[in-house]
Amino acid sequence: MATRNSQDPNRLYADRRNFLKLTTNALFGLAGLLGLGGLVRFLGYPTEPAPQTEFDLGPAANFPPGSRTVRADIPVVIYNTDGVFTAYSLICTHLGCTVEADGQGFACPCHGSRFEQDGAVLQGPAKQPLRPLRVEALEDGRLKLFTQEEADI
Amino acid sequence: MASTSRFKLSRGLLLLPVLALGLGGVLFASAAAASPVYQANATPQATPTFDPKRLEPPPTNNPPGQADKGALQYWGMCMSCHGDRGQGLTDEWLASFPAEERDCWQSGCHGKDYSQNSFELPVQSGIPAIAGAGKLGRFENALQLNQYILESMPWWNPGSLETQEAWAVTAYTLKLNGNLPLGISLSETNAAAIPVHRSVTAPPSEWPGALALAALLGLAAVGIMKQSRQNTLSALPKPNFVHHLHPPSIPAAQARFRYTLGAGGLAVFFSLTLFVTGLLEMYYYVPSPERAAISIEIITTLVPYGNLVRNLHYWSAQALVLVTMLHLLRVVLTGAYAPPRRFNYLLGLGLLTLILLLDFTGYLLRWDEGIRWALVVGVNLLKTFPLVGERFYQFILGGTQPGAAALTRFYAWHVLGLTGCAILLIIWHLFRVRRDGGIAVPPPDERADKSRITRFELVRREVAVIAVASAGLLLFSLLLPAPLAQPLSDNALVLGDSRAPWFFLWIQKMLQWGNPFLWGVLTPLLVVIALGLLPYLLPNAQPGELGRWFPRGNRLAQALALLIVTAILFLTVLGAFPH
Repeated sequence: MATRNSQDPNRLYADRRNFLKLTTNALFGLAGLLGLGGLVRFLGYPTEPAPQTEFDLGPAANFPPGSRTVRADIPVVIYNTDGVFTAYSLICTHLGCTVEADGQGFACPCHGSRFEQDGAVLQGPAKQPLRPLRVEALEDGRLKLFTQEEADI
Repeated sequence: MASTSRFKLSRGLLLLPVLALGLGGVLFASAAAASPVYQANATPQATPTFDPKRLEPPPTNNPPGQADKGALQYWGMCMSCHGDRGQGLTDEWLASFPAEERDCWQSGCHGKDYSQNSFELPVQSGIPAIAGAGKLGRFENALQLNQYILESMPWWNPGSLETQEAWAVTAYTLKLNGNLPLGISLSETNAAAIPVHRSVTAPPSEWPGALALAALLGLAAVGIMKQSRQNTLSALPKPNFVHHLHPPSIPAAQARFRYTLGAGGLAVFFSLTLFVTGLLEMYYYVPSPERAAISIEIITTLVPYGNLVRNLHYWSAQALVLVTMLHLLRVVLTGAYAPPRRFNYLLGLGLLTLILLLDFTGYLLRWDEGIRWALVVGVNLLKTFPLVGERFYQFILGGTQPGAAALTRFYAWHVLGLTGCAILLIIWHLFRVRRDGGIAVPPPDERADKSRITRFELVRREVAVIAVASAGLLLFSLLLPAPLAQPLSDNALVLGDSRAPWFFLWIQKMLQWGNPFLWGVLTPLLVVIALGLLPYLLPNAQPGELGRWFPRGNRLAQALALLIVTAILFLTVLGAFPH
C-alpha cells in the first residue's frame, strides 16, 4: 500500500516512527553497554591483599645435608644436596592443587599429574614442570624463600 | 477406564520422586562412603641434638591473638611438663633438662616427699601428650577441654587460671593439634561447636519434630485432595491465591503425568524449598573464612532443627539438579521444544545452567577442607581463558587468591545475584508455558477430546506430587546428613579426598586429559550450546507427532541428547571412583 512517493504522508510517518524506534533502541543498547562496562569495573576492584611471596624458613641447620623437607603451608619442598639448597613449588602446574609426596616424586590429587623429585613431569595432564624457587641462606644462618622468583636450574 | 488410569497415575506419582531421589541417594551414598579421611598432622621430627632455641619464649604477633596469648601462658606454665610441642614428658623432651634434673620423681623433687616449694607429680607413667593423633581423647569439643583446663590445670595450683587465660590456653592447645580455625576467638558461645578431634558430635534428634511435621502436612494434603475432588464444573468455589496462579482450566489431555513426569512442577517445588530453607540458614551463616564452617557446624549441631533445615536445603538442591535434567531430557525426547516453544526451551536451559552455578557456589560456602580442591580448580579454570584470564579471575574473586573477598562474593552471588536471576527466569519460564499454549500439546488422537480439568483438580494433583516429594525429602534429610569437614586451614595436606562435587565429576574426569581450557571450559560450554541449538539446527518433530514420547521428526536430536547424557553419566561414574 505504501507508494514509493516520498511525499506520501503515511510513508513519512512510518519513516519517522521507525527512526524514533531505532534511535531509542540504540540509546538503550548504548546505555546497557555502558552500564555493563561500569559493572565490570565495579566488580574488578581487588580488596584481597596480595599473597605473601617471601618466607623465612628458619635456621638452615633444620635442613641437614641430604634432607628433603615439605612445607605444606607455603607449599614448597626444600632439598639440601651437599650444602646446596634447592626449592620447588608444590603447586601443580595444571590447575593449582597442592601435589603430595609420592615415593621420591610428587603426585597431584586432583587430576593425577605426577612429577619427579626435581619437578620434571612424569605423567600428565600437567605439561610444565614444578616451578623451581629461589631459596637463599642468609648471613644469620636462616633460610629465605622467594615464591615469586624462579631459580635458574 | 478412568479408575485404571487414576491407578496408573497414582502409582507413577509415587515412583518418580522415589526414583529421582533414589538415584541421588546412590550417588551420595558412594560419596559419603568414601568421605574425606583425616590424617593427623605430621608431628615435627625431633632434631638429633637438642636445640636450646626450643626453650625460647614463643614469637608474639602484634596485636597478639588468643592463641598467641595462650602460647605465652603455655610457655610459662605448661611447657616444662607437656613439652614444647605438646608431646608430653618424653625422653626427647627430658633431654632439654639439665642432666641432674631428669628424674622428676626422685626424692625431694616431685616425688612423694617433695620439697617445700615444690609439688607432687602423681603420674610416674608419664605426663600425657596434649597434641597429636588420638590425644585429648576424652574431650569432645573445645568447651569441655576449656572446662578441664579451668578446673584442673596447672597441676600444682588448679583453678588459678582466669577465664580469659583458660580460653587462651585452650586455643593454643587446639592450635598445637591443628584444629584451631583461622582467626576465631574461642568463647562460650562457639566452643561447643569446635571439635577437639574431627569427630562431629551427633546432632540432637529431630525425628519427633520432623515426623510430626510430616504427619500434619500429610493430613493437610489429604484434606486438600478431598476438598478439591468434590468440585464439578457446575459448582466451582472461588479460587484462592494458589488456585489463581493456575489457568482456570486446561485440556485434560495436557496434564498427563506419564508425559510430563511432573518434573517441571517438582523443580518449582524444590526451588521454593531451597528458597525458604536458604533464608533460614542466612540467619546463622557467617560468610567469613574464619567462621563460615564453624557457623555451619553450629547450625547442624546446636541450633534446634538446624540440622533438618540444612539437610533439607542440601537434598532439595541435589534433587533439583536431577529433576531439571530429567525435565530437559523429557522435553527433548518428546520433541516438545518445537516452535513456538523454542524460546522457552532456551530459558529452561539457562535455568539449568544457573542451578548448576547455584549448586557450586552453595557448595563453596562450606569453606571447609572438603571444598579445598574444587575451589582451587574451579577458580583457576577462570585463569585459563585466553587473554582475559587473569582479569576474569580478579573480576570473579576480587583478589589474586581465594580469600575473604572471594567468599563474600560467592555468598553474594549465591543468595542474591544468581538467586535473583533464577527467580526472574522461573517466572518468565512459567509465563511462556502459558503463552505458548499450555504445558503440552495432546497427542493427535486426544486432541478432539474437549474435556478439561479445572485449576482445583490441577492443584490437587500438584499437592499429591508435592506430598510424595516432601516425604522423600524429609526421609533423606533425616537419614543422610549433608557433608561438612573441618574448617579450611593453612595446612594443605590434611585431606585425602580431592573429588569435585558430583555434578562436576564429569568435568574433573575430562580435565585429566590435558588442556584445562579445552576440557574444563570449552567442552562444557559446547555441551550447553549444542543442547541450545537442537531446535534451531536439527529437524523438529512434526505437529502431528507431538504429545507422544520419541516422535520420528526429531530422532536425530534425541540421539544426540542421549549421547551427551550417556557420556556425562559415564564420565561421572569414572570420576566418582578415581582409583
